[in-house]
Amino acid sequence: MTATGGADLLESRIRAEVERAIQRNIKGLEYFGSPAPVLGSTPKDLLCKRGTLNLYHYRPVADELYRVPLLMVMATTNRGYIFDLAPGQSLVEFLLKQGYDVYLIDWSPPRPDEKRLRLEDYTLDFLPDCVRRVQEDAGEEEVTILGYCMGGVLSVIYAALHPQGPMKNLVCFTTPIDWRHMGLFTKWAHRDFFDVDRLVDALGNVPSEFIFTSFELLRPATRSAGQLKLWENMWNDEFVKSHRMFERWSTDTLPLPGEYFRQIIKELMWRNALFGNELTLGGRRADLGNIRAPVLHAVAEHDHIVPYDAAKPLVERAGSTDKQELVFKGGHVSVVAGGNAVKRLWPRLDAWLGERSI
Amino acid sequence: MAEPPSKDPAAAWRDLVAQWEKNLNELANRTMGSDEFSKAINQAMGLSAGMQSSLSEAMGRYLASLNLPSRAEMAGIGERLHAIEERLDRVLTLLQSPADAAKPGGAAATSKPPRTKRPPDRGEKP
Repeated sequence: MTATGGADLLESRIRAEVERAIQRNIKGLEYFGSPAPVLGSTPKDLLCKRGTLNLYHYRPVADELYRVPLLMVMATTNRGYIFDLAPGQSLVEFLLKQGYDVYLIDWSPPRPDEKRLRLEDYTLDFLPDCVRRVQEDAGEEEVTILGYCMGGVLSVIYAALHPQGPMKNLVCFTTPIDWRHMGLFTKWAHRDFFDVDRLVDALGNVPSEFIFTSFELLRPATRSAGQLKLWENMWNDEFVKSHRMFERWSTDTLPLPGEYFRQIIKELMWRNALFGNELTLGGRRADLGNIRAPVLHAVAEHDHIVPYDAAKPLVERAGSTDKQELVFKGGHVSVVAGGNAVKRLWPRLDAWLGERSI
Repeated sequence: MAEPPSKDPAAAWRDLVAQWEKNLNELANRTMGSDEFSKAINQAMGLSAGMQSSLSEAMGRYLASLNLPSRAEMAGIGERLHAIEERLDRVLTLLQSPADAAKPGGAAATSKPPRTKRPPDRGEKP
């Protein structure tokens, strides 16, 4: 490189940095004055509300639909709009355009009287009831179920308890099965230290702040680093928009029904009963070998909430002959939503599901 | 050959932030992964839950002395109202169902696209 060329390059870099610094200041002021982004705006109808449970149907946009409707089950800890962030960044919108008939189970904060809800209520009442409503609404016998994180756990238990159908396919995103590998959660909730009975008996429902703090403590520096990255990229509208969407979603955690939380700790975390095929609900044993429907499990290589070793056994243990695990780069959320998910997971999901939805 | 140091100050800043985040998370994870931390955090949480519970009981007694309903009693009323709402919803659904069924094609078939879509030919099954 010549001396003149080097000087030109340096000059253009300085110019770009000065321009960005100006933009940062202008847009930084706009940032604090602008309203929060609108999330979850794809048109939908509420089919059923039962306390904490909400069943939505998204209005189809394609001229032709796949025969088998798709029921998405959101994690009980967070809001379902992670599937529908914004136009162009919405998994729901993508699936609708591809011709799927999409339903969503989303959760509201449980009411005080819902502290008594148990895993049995979710897997032997809520999910079967929603499947029945989807069957009626769609006019189809078979239904594909897609669960994310704890929504995946509920879907897996439902599938293991209802081997006779009518589930056509089971799709899971980052779903923990072997709870020995849940990292710091396993440590913090160890039976020698964690008195879950005292917590649940004292509080009823487990507060959202408790859930939020548990997630935050896994990566305590990440939020501060995120603020620094936001400032550095304040000139970039797309970055700011994306940051605000994910920031809002990640802080929008839900309380959990007390009895349900107690069961998660005692049955899944302490006894590891789902992994050991020893989870018994309503007198029925949830044996993963009972799952016969085609299974797809999308997991993240760098998932700090559900580490790969915790998620891996689903495909290994499901009794299905048609089963596949997809391992993506990224973390617990970025595997499902955001720029990487648009390029990586969504097309693979469509390719797998389309073949099995006719 | 070693990478020459970047002359881009913004890139250096990004690297610095990324490295700081990684190091701090690793350090925190090591600390929080100890038995001592688990014990301490659970003791603090138990104390906080216990205090909240005691405060709630004391507040309940105070409100009773003022002849006012406690939070639990209000929640009980809310619970009964929700139960009534749910029953009304079920009645409404039952009332609407015959009307929907009377429409041509029934409720399930109202103005939905046909379920005839086939996946695009990708050459091989994924």
